[in-house]
This record gives sequence, structure tokens and C-alpha cells, in this order.
Amino acid sequence: MREIGIDNSCLVWAGVGCLLAAAIQAAPLKGAAAVQQAPPPASAAAQSSPGAGFSHVKSLGGIDEYRLDSNGLTVLLVPDHSAPVVTFEVTYQVGSRNEVTGTTGATHILEHMMFKGSEAFNDPKGNSIKQLLERVGGQFNASTSFDRTNYFATIGRESLESYIAIEADRMRHLWLHDADRQSEMTVVRNEYERGKNDPENVLLEEVSAAAYVALPYHHPTIGWKSDIEHVPIAKLREFYDTFYWPNNATVTVVGDIETEPVLALIRKYYGVYPRSPAPIPTVYTEEPVQSGERRVVVKRPGELGTIIVAHKVPNGRDADQAPLEMLDAILSSGKNARLYRALVDQGLALSAGAGTDLHHDLSLHTLFAALTPGASHDEVEKALLAEINKIKTSGVTPAEVATVKQQYIAEDAYKRDGTAAVASEISEWIGVGDWTLYVTFPQKVQQVTPADVQRVARQYFVADQSTTGWFVPVASKTEKGS
Amino acid sequence: MIRLSMMALLLIGSTAAANMADQAQRSKINGIDLITYRTNVKDVVILLGVLPAGDAMAEPGNIAVPTLSGMMLDRGTKALDKFAIADKLDNVGAEISFTVGVQSLEIRAKCLRKDLPLIIETIAAELRTPALQVTEFNKAKQQFIGELEASAQNTGARATEAFNRAVFPAGHPNHPHTLNEYLAAARLASIEEIRNFQAKYYGPAHMTLVVVGDVSDADTQSEMSKAFAGWSGGQDYIRPAKPAIAAAASEATVPLADKPSVSVLLGQATGLRYSDPDTLALRVGTAILGRGFTGRLMGTVRDKEGLTYNIGATVADDSIVDGVWEISASFAPALLSKGVESTRREVGKWWSDGVTEQELATRKQGAVGSYFVGMSTTLGLAETILVNTQRGFDPTWLDAYPKAVKALTREQVNAAIKAHLNPGAMVLVEAGSVAASAKAPP
Repeated sequence: MREIGIDNSCLVWAGVGCLLAAAIQAAPLKGAAAVQQAPPPASAAAQSSPGAGFSHVKSLGGIDEYRLDSNGLTVLLVPDHSAPVVTFEVTYQVGSRNEVTGTTGATHILEHMMFKGSEAFNDPKGNSIKQLLERVGGQFNASTSFDRTNYFATIGRESLESYIAIEADRMRHLWLHDADRQSEMTVVRNEYERGKNDPENVLLEEVSAAAYVALPYHHPTIGWKSDIEHVPIAKLREFYDTFYWPNNATVTVVGDIETEPVLALIRKYYGVYPRSPAPIPTVYTEEPVQSGERRVVVKRPGELGTIIVAHKVPNGRDADQAPLEMLDAILSSGKNARLYRALVDQGLALSAGAGTDLHHDLSLHTLFAALTPGASHDEVEKALLAEINKIKTSGVTPAEVATVKQQYIAEDAYKRDGTAAVASEISEWIGVGDWTLYVTFPQKVQQVTPADVQRVARQYFVADQSTTGWFVPVASKTEKGS
Repeated sequence: MIRLSMMALLLIGSTAAANMADQAQRSKINGIDLITYRTNVKDVVILLGVLPAGDAMAEPGNIAVPTLSGMMLDRGTKALDKFAIADKLDNVGAEISFTVGVQSLEIRAKCLRKDLPLIIETIAAELRTPALQVTEFNKAKQQFIGELEASAQNTGARATEAFNRAVFPAGHPNHPHTLNEYLAAARLASIEEIRNFQAKYYGPAHMTLVVVGDVSDADTQSEMSKAFAGWSGGQDYIRPAKPAIAAAASEATVPLADKPSVSVLLGQATGLRYSDPDTLALRVGTAILGRGFTGRLMGTVRDKEGLTYNIGATVADDSIVDGVWEISASFAPALLSKGVESTRREVGKWWSDGVTEQELATRKQGAVGSYFVGMSTTLGLAETILVNTQRGFDPTWLDAYPKAVKALTREQVNAAIKAHLNPGAMVLVEAGSVAASAKAPP
């Protein structure tokens, strides 16, 4: 009769919208990447000769990076012959980070519109992407986050060419009809409404909106409701024509592939496009320094309270992310985690944890706790912060650090089981701005010392830099269900 | 067809077995049904298990006892407290968890190959010699009560409770108790009730364990023999002599404030178990109506009419007893009546006109394809083997399933739809910010 996790929604904590919630493999926050115990060094010398028209860029940890010379498309190949399946994923470096007032949520609506058909592949022709992929039993979806948009499918290797053809066609030949926007707008609005059913999701959005003043992480990936309802098709077209180009995309192929044939297929279908006619716009906004503690309160019908304490931390590529990851694991991984012992085991919280939503720019670290019946927000918040203060004053133990490192070594094996999870995680690092962190981040975690953990705790978990959110349940105006 | 056979061959590892089933090793270890399956994956082992000790096994005195019993398993054994166990697992990156479902206590674990003995030994100790300390029991109760209270505002959970109570008659294993009944029971539960329940239901007699990945059949059997030697007891699943009869049509609302998306369930009892002759035909026919983006419901109610983010149809809860046919959807309150109307229209059309040859051919191909893609991970394969076992099939069903799907005819599918469903006698439940209907939920 336990009902935790019954609402299988898209990655709420990372602010991801997607085409269909139940189908997505939620991408990890930081930390799911695992250590490569003896990775091949980065090298400009090709491990395998690239296909014609491609330049080999580098190879690292079993991943080969190529660039399509004619248009700048980046290709990552990850051969894995353990099963005759392939995951093909294209990641565009555009997310809600690239939106402004009036177009919030446009990246996500465009992601939905990408399934409305393209010139060569569409429902009337009977060869649309969903018709192909469901006919061959593929597992597919798309998702939008702050920093990237991705489209992916796991299929039998024999279906790969058909999928590449469709995926490439919709990169530049997408149908963008206003009638489709109108019907899809209400679909997306229902996705937005489903998110609003969850008070914790609402609280995180409020905390993010307070924590970020200038950076576009201020607004949720799904956008503000009024923007979802009113964004014109011309704006979506403008977005598409600005960002959906090969030089702003990375194709990742994981699974039962051979290098030259798969590169030939990618060249065949993506090589027909030129580079973008104009440079891809960059985001030059910087977040001003926070000059004091911020607080938000969400009051809605509910039963139990929630607390989030957020701190802005460096971008996802920063060297301090590895010690922050170690700190988070020590705080929240398993029954021996400090937050479990201090909050859950003491009866203050049903659950408690810590994590970082890695961003291309300033990231957001959150401590959170779901209160037990009878626990007060004040005492739980104090207990959360007390654990941080202990680390700031006394540090962590070598044994705690060693345990986390062992867990990462096990993760190295687990992550090789299944092509979709590998592609998904690589896509997240692409969004952060450097795919090689998929390989090197776990290695960086192996280098972390207890002193590093204490240093980052002291540096980033400062009260004047915090944003604290409380969800305070209020009595329902209508009668509770039986 | 040749390509699919290739996939099956490659999935089963280095041994050139002709069938997937040939790679599965099934044995009885001290009464436990053990199935091991070696794949190509390196180092990774997934262990899934079930034993009949779910919520449906609750004695009349306290319905919260099965879940609380399960929650006590990772809270220490007679030899080690919960922190010492967590320490052992954390140090090798292994995980063990227990959950309680309708009829089963479910076990999930993953580890590296070298750590399988530790995992088996730990699971055995947790099942056989749980500490059952009163302090930990009180914490578990508090946790359970908190989870229940947190679910009170979950539209999906509340809709499911009301729907299953309306669809299945009282006494049927799939007929749930209410949230408030669970809350009251959890508050009153005693540690003695937990001891009694575990003594009666936790045993090897009807337990199944599936171990998949980089495993040695012989080594696994040996470790199991050592860890579970001398264990006895266990009860069988509850299997009502007669299936549920579809209830009369009804509508109910579960009003919840401040929920801008309403969870909707529409459906009925099927009277069918998975292993019944018509079930596969009904499942494939249902997939044509409501699975994926090419299902009729997504194609119309979402894509054409823009009324919902998510709508789908499924046959569920039929592994052990007769199950349910249901459509699940979400609608904004303002679009709710239109959404339900469109959904009923599509169900009526599907039921009266049936599926087409083209739809069936496409769906059969997709079903077989997704079956193999789903088994390309160790977890996916383990889950398939376990659910097949619960449904009463031996590992030969791994190979027989695609053939059974391919053999389905349009006549069989349409006949199954007509025989087991009645759009005029379906239960509708809406949970969210909608005005309460005249009928309260059962």
C-alpha cells in the first residue's frame, strides 16, 4: 500500500519537460556517471579511421568524437555489441536558457512540434516518426531541459537507417503549422497543469525563480502558462531557424554499431545541410552577486510540508563539482547518509537529500526534506543546516569518502548495462557543455579528499547566498477522498 | 523474423543456444523457485524476487501489517543493525530493497558478480531473522503513516483507489482498502502482529527468485542452498475460485482542491487472468486503442483534439488473479467533460467496429519488437522472466510469446474485445478539482 512514486512524472527536480512523461528515462542529476578504471587517454590520433567527410576529434573512455566537415555536426560513437540494439540520440544545444519573456516554454513546445511531421516523413504518408518507431517496437521520446533539447530512440540495429533519415529530415524540414500549434498548446498546457498538481514541484519552481534574478534559469523549462498559451507560430519558427542546425547539434550513437557504416549513414542524411547561416546566439547574461538570504513560502492544500534550501554553485564543468558530488553522496546516499541519520531516522523527515541540478551556467544545489507528520518547518530546517555546519566545522571522514568512491566503481559496471542510459547521460553532459565529463567526472570524484569536501561546504553554503523555500500545507476547502 | 531470432540469440550470451529458454536454469533450492540466466553483460547481476506476502494477505484484524512487515526487513537483523548492513552494501556499491504490493513482497537487488554471495546472504538474513525491534517498528509506522498522508492529495493515487474499489468486489484481492482504513490500521499495528505475519507468510514454499546477468548457475545455487538451508513455511497466492463480474456502470468524483489536472480512470473488470486463452488477444487489441503515440486514443484525444497530455489503455493486475481493463488520462477541469466524451466515443467505436487487419499487423510487429528491445538490459530481462513466472509460465514462454502474438488473428482480437468488455457498463472515476458528483466514491 506504499504509494511513493505513483505519479511517474518527468524529472521534476531537473526541470525537464518531455513529449510523454511515462516513457522517459529520467536523466540523472550529477553523480550517475561512473568511474572508468583505466580509460584510454584523450588522443587526437584516431583509434579508427573516420569515414569520408569526417574529422576525428578525439577518443576518450571508449567514445569516439567526429566532426562532419561540411557543416560542423558533432558525432559521438559508443560501440557496445552486447545486444543487437542501438540508441540514437540527437542533442541540440538549446533549452529554456535561450528563452526570454514572452517565449518562455518555446523550446519545449517546439520539441512537441517536432513530432507533427516533416516534409518527407509524416502521418499522411504513413511514415512518420511515431509510425516507424512503434511499428518496430522502438522505445523513444524527447525531452527539454534548461540547457539542451534531445530526441532519442532505442531500436533494433536493422531500423537505424530509417530512424536517422527521419531525425535528419526534421532538423531542417519540420512542418510548423499554426493549427498544430493550437492543438499542441493545450496538450502542453495539460503537462504544465500536471506539474502544478505537485506542491513540491511548485516549490522548486518558486525557489529557482527567487534564486536566479538575471539568468534564464529563473523561469521553469515548461514556461509560464500565459506564454505557453500565446506564443505565436512565428516565434517558434524563429526559434527553430535559429537553433536547429547541424553545427548546434550532437548525434550520439550507442550500441551495436560499426564506425564506418554508421558514419556513412549520418553523412548521407545530415550531410545535405549547410552550417547555420548566422552564428548560434550565445547567452551573455551573468547573475549578479546575491547580497542576502532569500525566502519563499508556498501555501496550498496538502498534508505534509517540504523544505528546500538552495545555493548557487559553479557551472557544471567546474572542478568544484566533484567535491560537491562527494558531499552530496555523504549527505544523502543510503541509510548511513548523514541526512538519513539526522532527519529520517530521528523522525523529522520522511525523506531528505542533497543534489545539484547541473547547468551550463551557475548551477543550483538543493538540500531538501519532506516533513513527517507533526514535525515543524523550523526544526527540520535547523536540522538540515546543522548537518552542513558540521561538515563546515569538522569535515567528513576518510571512510565516508572511501565508501562513495567504491560506489562509483560499482556504477561503472552498472552503467554499461543498457544503451539508452549511456546515451541519456552523455546528452546531459553535452547540455552542461562538455561531453568528456561523462568519462572524466567519475575520475575526478576518485581524486576528491576530505579536505576538498570541507572547503566547498565552507565556500558555497553561506547563509547570505541561500534561497530557502517552505511548502506549508493548508486545510483543503473540499472534502478529502475516502 | 530472422532478425528477431538473431536478437534472441545474441541476448543469451556466448552459448549458442537455439532458444532463450535454453539459457535459463530453473531449480528448487530449499523450496525456492530459482531461475538463473547468464547474459553478455560484464560484472552486473540483477536479482528480483517475490513471495506471497502482499497487502491482500492481511488478516482481518489489521490491514497495515503486510506493508509494515515488509518495511521492517531493511531495519536490521538479529546479527546486524541496519547501519551495519548498509555499511556492507555501500562499501561495494550494492543495493537491496523490499516493497509490498497487492499479493507479493517484492525483492530487488543489484550488485557486482563478486558480491552476489553477500547479497544472497543478506537477503536471507533479512527475511529469516529480522531484528523486529520496537524502536525501529515505531519509526516504520511513522514513515508509513507519513507516506499515506502525503498520498492523500495525489490525484492518481486517489483515483486508483476509488476505481479499484468500484471495479472489484469486496474480498477480491484487487479490491483495496481505503486510505483512511490504512491510516487507522497503521496507528494500531503491533510488533506482535508483525511477528505473527512473518512467521506465517515468510517462507520458501511459494517464493521465486530470478538472478540475471554475469552469473554462474552452479555458484548461485550453491550460495542459495547455504543461505536458505533449513528455512520453511510460506503460503500460496490468493486465487479466488470465481473471477470478478464486471460492475454496473457508475461514475464517481474524488474532489481535491487546487489540482489543475484531473486524473481520470475509465474501465471494468475483465474476469481474465493473463494465462487465459483470450487475454493476449484482448491485450493486443487494447494496445491498438491505447498504447503509445499511434494508439487511437493518443491519435485523436491528444493529437487531433488537444484535450490531454497523456491518455492510454491497458490490461493490468492479471498476473495472479483476474484483472482490469482501464483507460488512464488527465484533463484540465475545463476540458474534462469534453475529454471524457471523446474517450467514450473512441472506446465505443473501437468496441463496435473492432480493429483492422492493418492495425493488427502493425501492432503485432511492434509488440514483438518492443519485447526484444525491452529485454536488451539485464533488468528488463529479469523483469520479464519474473512476471512470466508469476503468470504461471515457465521460461519456454520467453520464446513462445512472440509466436503467440504473431499467430493472433483479427477475428480473435475483435471477439475478445466483444466478449470481455462492455462500454455501457464501465466505471468512471475523476479525481481532482472538479465539483463532486452525486455519487461519492465507494
